[in-house]
Amino acid sequence: MRLMHQPPKIFLHFFRWFCQPKLLDSIEGDLMELYHERIEKIGKSKADLRFIADVIQLFRPGIIKSVESQHPINIYDMLKSYFKISWRNLVKEKMYSFIKIGGFATGVAACLLIALFIKEEISYDLQYPNHEHIYRVIGVITENGDLNKGVAFPAPMAATMKEDFPEILAAGRFNNSELFGAGSNEVRSAEEENNAYDEGFVYFDQELVNMLQLQFVYGNPVNALSQPNAIIITQRKADKYFPHEDPVGKQLILNNKTDRPYTIGGVIEDFKPTSHLQFNFLIGTTGLEFWPDEQKNWGSSNYATYITVADGVDPHALESKLTKGILENYFIPAMKEGGRSQADIDKLFKEKKAHIELQPLNEIHLFSSDIKDNLVHGDIRMVWLFGGIAIFILLIAAINFINLSTAKSANRAKEVGLRKVVGSLRSNIINQFLSESILFSTVSFILGLAIASVILPYFNVISGKSISLPWSEWWLIPALFLSSLLVGVLAGIYPSFYLSSFKPIEVLKGNLTRGVKSSPLRSALVVFQFATSIILLIGTMVIYRQMNFILDKNIGFDKEQVLLIQGTNTLGKQVVSFANELRDLPHVVELTTGDYLPVRGSKRNGNGFWNEGKQRIDPAVSSQFWQVDETYLSTLGIKLAEGRNFDRNLASDSGAIIINQKMAKELGGNMVGKWITNYAGLWNVIGVVENFHYESLREDIRPLAMVLGLEASTLAVKLKSEDMSETIISLTKKWNKFAPHQPIRYSFLDERYAAMYADVQRTGKIFTSFSILAIVVACLGLFALSAFMVEQRSKEISVRLVLGASINSVFQLLTWNFVKLVLIAFLIAAPMGWYMMTRWLEDYAYKTEIGLDIFLITGITASLIALLTISYQSLRAAWTKPITHLRAD
Amino acid sequence: MKKYHLGEFEEVVMLTIGILYKDAYGVSIKKEIEARLTRNVSVGALQTALKRLEDKGYLQSNEGEATEERAGRPKKYFQITALGKRAMEYTKTTRDELWKAIPKVALNPIIISS
Repeated sequence: MRLMHQPPKIFLHFFRWFCQPKLLDSIEGDLMELYHERIEKIGKSKADLRFIADVIQLFRPGIIKSVESQHPINIYDMLKSYFKISWRNLVKEKMYSFIKIGGFATGVAACLLIALFIKEEISYDLQYPNHEHIYRVIGVITENGDLNKGVAFPAPMAATMKEDFPEILAAGRFNNSELFGAGSNEVRSAEEENNAYDEGFVYFDQELVNMLQLQFVYGNPVNALSQPNAIIITQRKADKYFPHEDPVGKQLILNNKTDRPYTIGGVIEDFKPTSHLQFNFLIGTTGLEFWPDEQKNWGSSNYATYITVADGVDPHALESKLTKGILENYFIPAMKEGGRSQADIDKLFKEKKAHIELQPLNEIHLFSSDIKDNLVHGDIRMVWLFGGIAIFILLIAAINFINLSTAKSANRAKEVGLRKVVGSLRSNIINQFLSESILFSTVSFILGLAIASVILPYFNVISGKSISLPWSEWWLIPALFLSSLLVGVLAGIYPSFYLSSFKPIEVLKGNLTRGVKSSPLRSALVVFQFATSIILLIGTMVIYRQMNFILDKNIGFDKEQVLLIQGTNTLGKQVVSFANELRDLPHVVELTTGDYLPVRGSKRNGNGFWNEGKQRIDPAVSSQFWQVDETYLSTLGIKLAEGRNFDRNLASDSGAIIINQKMAKELGGNMVGKWITNYAGLWNVIGVVENFHYESLREDIRPLAMVLGLEASTLAVKLKSEDMSETIISLTKKWNKFAPHQPIRYSFLDERYAAMYADVQRTGKIFTSFSILAIVVACLGLFALSAFMVEQRSKEISVRLVLGASINSVFQLLTWNFVKLVLIAFLIAAPMGWYMMTRWLEDYAYKTEIGLDIFLITGITASLIALLTISYQSLRAAWTKPITHLRAD
Repeated sequence: MKKYHLGEFEEVVMLTIGILYKDAYGVSIKKEIEARLTRNVSVGALQTALKRLEDKGYLQSNEGEATEERAGRPKKYFQITALGKRAMEYTKTTRDELWKAIPKVALNPIIISS
């Protein structure tokens, strides 16, 4: 045959696919004839086009085959029969079906929730239009082998970067340090008298507003912050302070400072939940200086800096350029000017390898757990952990399905045999069991979706998220449907191959031994289920241990019964008389006016210190520099190791300083009586306090220095009271006398302390819920499996009982097999759990020990739960009268 | 009244099959119509019409030879059935009657207007 031109294959196949078989040959012949004729006349490419046109025009009713005629053998009825049989089986074996479907649905619900959680976690900051070009600047130094990453930079750096590097199109900053009045404040509209407490204040550059393209409800995005003392508020806060109006041009008063009102330059939409920035009040930086020449000062780092780079700029190349250009040209001269020694500078760059890194905007949320930035973050490890747990729970549920299907195979064997005898192919039977498993999986998915939507609110509370089921998204239903198909096929594939392998002759002869003995695979799967559950149990135990360790640890100060009255800065000078009046109350033991408290969220001020006269020689000891009063130590129960406390009556104590043991050690020891210096002057060390944990237990205790001062936006009151509510009422009365326009706001120190570890508590809760879930699902499987086993061996047991076996021995016979599996699971799980939790504890500088008792407790718990699960069935078997089972034959 | 219904295109196809007599299959019918009526006929339209006419019983078909340029596919020849013939005749008579019923004046409007 002569080699002929071929028309476009896809269209030919398409035509063959849709055309009625009866018409196919003659029409295809016509098409080919026309095609070849056209090739001669108008060339191949045009002929191809005409061919395509013909095929498309043939795609019409009358030519397209009807749906029924698609399947010459009626597969539709076949499927109907499959599903009918599946449904009957499902209804017949109610308990097994319940366990299969219930377990599956639970697994699906867990997976669904976690998938939504992960989806939200990885979609952070993608809403900013230009996010792929925006980076956060990170400063990295290596200290004692640890990477130390920070985001605070000097005020002039952003502008300098933009000026010096053409790759950088824009650079903007914000400052969210409590030290400068960011964070929380007392606030009111200028037209109001009553203060309200509000959070989420930040100093924010106009340029950063532009870079992030924040969405404005009112006001002009371009110059909302370009006037001095301008402020942008979010929609939520606009509704709170200026309901039903456009507040642009109105004024806000912060902390009663009427001499310095802030004019609203714009209202932006609330920051999306998936933004790493969550602020409510953006105070403009135009004309703002916290001290003279602050904006030109390279010696003080307080600004988080973001840059927009030009298209096609390689961030890694830019990183090294920035490290060289910024650190060498600006930081080093500033440090020299500030009196740092050459040794100090060398140490910073050579030994500590100080350099700049750029972090893409959308990585900030998940990849910042090692970065100190005073923002709330997710953690990529949590994403992995959650994802892993979800998959394992689904696996456990799928294993129930596989185990029960293969175990119950004996009951289906006759059906399979008969089907084969009357002509079923193996593939037909595989299809049958696959469709059965798809039915189960689809029912489970529907149920799982229902469960997920019911427990979503609780999940949100535990995970601290605001996730909702995306019903309105087009992909939800198809995605769920596809997943249910996939999971159905995966879970059904082994059982269906196993069941379809039965030989009809053996089965029909009555050799129904299959599935009765526990197959090695089934045992392995049970071991896997329990190993997973035990690992989760160990995780739960260790997390709770660590939590208790943190809460009970002697942290060096007394956090019990300390009430913090906040917002006292609005009282101005009156705070002293307010404090004195409080002192006279019967339940008040002591009080201190200090902003610098040993819990997160209070003021911090990092400084460099030197021994007197050594600032050009020694490296600085970087330390906290706090202003406290003479009752600080006694109120918080902090112990002096050496020297004495401050004394207001000694005029010379205005130059006195108290340091902690850590600082004393770093400065060379034996410090009492010596003089030390920092930017603010020369200080005489009068006392050394014992180390106390003023930061999270994740970190070591760092150097700390305290001087006398009056920083009073918080009053810490040590109480001695049985009746706390009465005490608070009397405190409130006093407060209302001094500040009638501002409701009293207080918290307890121990609660604030516990809140620092909210994430640990959260992890603990999540682990608890999931390990309970895993155990429940695994036990459901075990329960069903043991029920089945008992059912299968009922005759054997009856015979044993008749021949004189004791209930005890029958019980042992039935349970030992399963308990053995749980013990093996424990042996596998214990080392894995130990390894995982050791890794988790590495985050903490101060941690509990993973003792042997944890393994003992989890091992015994798991075995007991398993034993309880099995024993119901075993005892039932052992207690039934033998005659009930023997009568049948 | 719907007893013998033929659409316009169907009628054209039937007539063409009549013209081609023993040689009426897909491509030849298509070409004949295109040549005589100078209008484009798509394979799809033609095949749909042929199938419909066959389903109505106006046409019958038999398979013919397969040639090389048809990639080995047989031709399907069409013939007009007795029923088909009656349908064509019915259509023709109804048309003729309608023609006759038109008053002469209606088709010569110029005479009236002057």
